Amino acid sequence: MDLATHQRKLLGLFRATYQATPEDGPYLNRVAASRDLEEGRRNIFLWRLWVLERTSVLTFRILLRRRLLEDAVNRFISQRNISPFRETQAPDFLRAMSDHEDQSVAAVARFELALEQVRGGDEASYAIPFPTDPVALLHALALDRDVPAELAHEPAQNHYEIIVSRNLPGHFEVRDLA
Amino acid sequence: MAKIAIGSTYEGRDPELLEGILPLVDYLEITPETIAEVRGGEVEISADILTELKNAAGSVKFIVHGVGLSIGSHEGYSANYLRLLDSLLEHLDIEWHSEHLAYTKVDGEHLGIMLALPKTREALDMVAARVMELQRRYAMPFLLENVVHVIPDCPADYSEAGFLNELTRRTGCGLILDVYNLECDSHNHGFDIAAFLSELDMKRVRELHLARGVEHNGFLLDVHSQLARPSTVDLARGAIAGSAGSARVAVFEFMPEAVPGLGYEAIAEQLRQLRSALNN
Repeated sequence: MDLATHQRKLLGLFRATYQATPEDGPYLNRVAASRDLEEGRRNIFLWRLWVLERTSVLTFRILLRRRLLEDAVNRFISQRNISPFRETQAPDFLRAMSDHEDQSVAAVARFELALEQVRGGDEASYAIPFPTDPVALLHALALDRDVPAELAHEPAQNHYEIIVSRNLPGHFEVRDLA
Repeated sequence: MAKIAIGSTYEGRDPELLEGILPLVDYLEITPETIAEVRGGEVEISADILTELKNAAGSVKFIVHGVGLSIGSHEGYSANYLRLLDSLLEHLDIEWHSEHLAYTKVDGEHLGIMLALPKTREALDMVAARVMELQRRYAMPFLLENVVHVIPDCPADYSEAGFLNELTRRTGCGLILDVYNLECDSHNHGFDIAAFLSELDMKRVRELHLARGVEHNGFLLDVHSQLARPSTVDLARGAIAGSAGSARVAVFEFMPEAVPGLGYEAIAEQLRQLRSALNN
C-alpha cells in the first residue's frame, strides 16, 4: 500500500468514517479492531479537553455543569477540521458552540467569542441576547460555582442582552430588556 | 566528558514559572504554535510572549521544537508552521530547531494526534528530501524526534532504529531521543528499548526529552502531565553515556495545563534533580 493510501485509511479509521475491508489486508484490519485505536481516539479527546478548559473557560464550565461537555467535544472533534495551532481551537470551538441547542450554552459561547475578538482588536460591536440573567450566570461560571437553580429554566423570550464592544468599560455591558 | 545541559519547555504567560526555572536551566524549548495567538484571523507569534523571551535571553539559550510541521504528510508539510518559524527567527536567536518524525494531517485534514510514519523506503525517501529542504532553508541544525506509536507499526522495510540511522546518514540531521516515548512504546506495544538503543547511531543524538503522562485503560499516554519517573531518568543517563558526548541537552517537558497540579516548586526540584542525576 502506498503512503498516501495508508495515511488516508488511517485518518478514516480515527474519524470512524472508514471501515476496513478484507481487501485492506491484515494490518489495517488489526488496527481497526485494536484497543490502540480506541485509546488513540480517547487521547485526541483528552488533548482537546485540556486546551479548551484553559482557552474557552466560561463555555467549558457551563457545558460541564450541564453535563453536556463530553458530547459537545466529541461532536466538535468529529465535525470540525481542528488545527494543531492550539490558539485557533478556542475560536473554532466557541463558533461551534454558538449554535448549541441549549440556549444558555449558545449565549455564553457567543459572549465569550465576542469578548475574545474585541480584546484581540476587533472594532465591531456585538449584541448577544440572553435567555437568563447573564450577570448571575456569568458570575457563577467565572467563579466556577454551580449555576443558580432558577437559571436552569429558560424563558421563551430573551429578556436580557449583552453588548460587547472595545469602547465599553470592561468591554461589555448588560441590558435588561424587560 | 562535557556535562549535559538542562532545558525546560516554556509556553509563555506564566512569569512566576519563568522566574522559578530560569536559574535552573541552560535552554528554554519553545514551540512556535503554542506561543502563537489569533490576531485578525491570522495565527501570529504573541508579541507579549516574545517580550518575555527576549527579557530572558541574557540567561538562557533557546531551541525550537515544533508540533505542526507534519513532515510526514504525503501531500507536503505545513506552510503555516514555517511562516511562524520564520517570524520567530526574526526576533530570537535560536541554537537549533526540531520536529517530530510524524504526520498530523492527511490531505489537509487534521488528525488531532501525531502518527508515526511507516518505516518504508517510500517514507524514507520523502522525509529525507524534506529534511534536506529544511536544512537548505534554515542555517542551523535540524533534529527529528522519535514519537510514540499510537497504533501498532505496520510491516516495514526498516527497523525503527534502522530508519533513523539511514535518515541521519543521508541528510546529516540530528536526533532527539524522547526516552519517555520509548517507555510508552515498550509498555503499550512491547517495544524492545535495549535492542533499539543498541542499533541506533547514538552519535546523531543531540537532545533528549524526559516527561511522564498518565496510564489509562492499561495504556501509557504521552501527555506530559507528571514529573519524570526514575526509570525514565535512568534511561536518559544510559543514552547520554551511549552518545559519547554528542547529546548536548536534556529537556524536561510539561504542558502548561499541568503546571497548577504539579506546582512551581516541584518543577524546579525536578530540574535540579535532572542536572544532578544526568551529570553524575
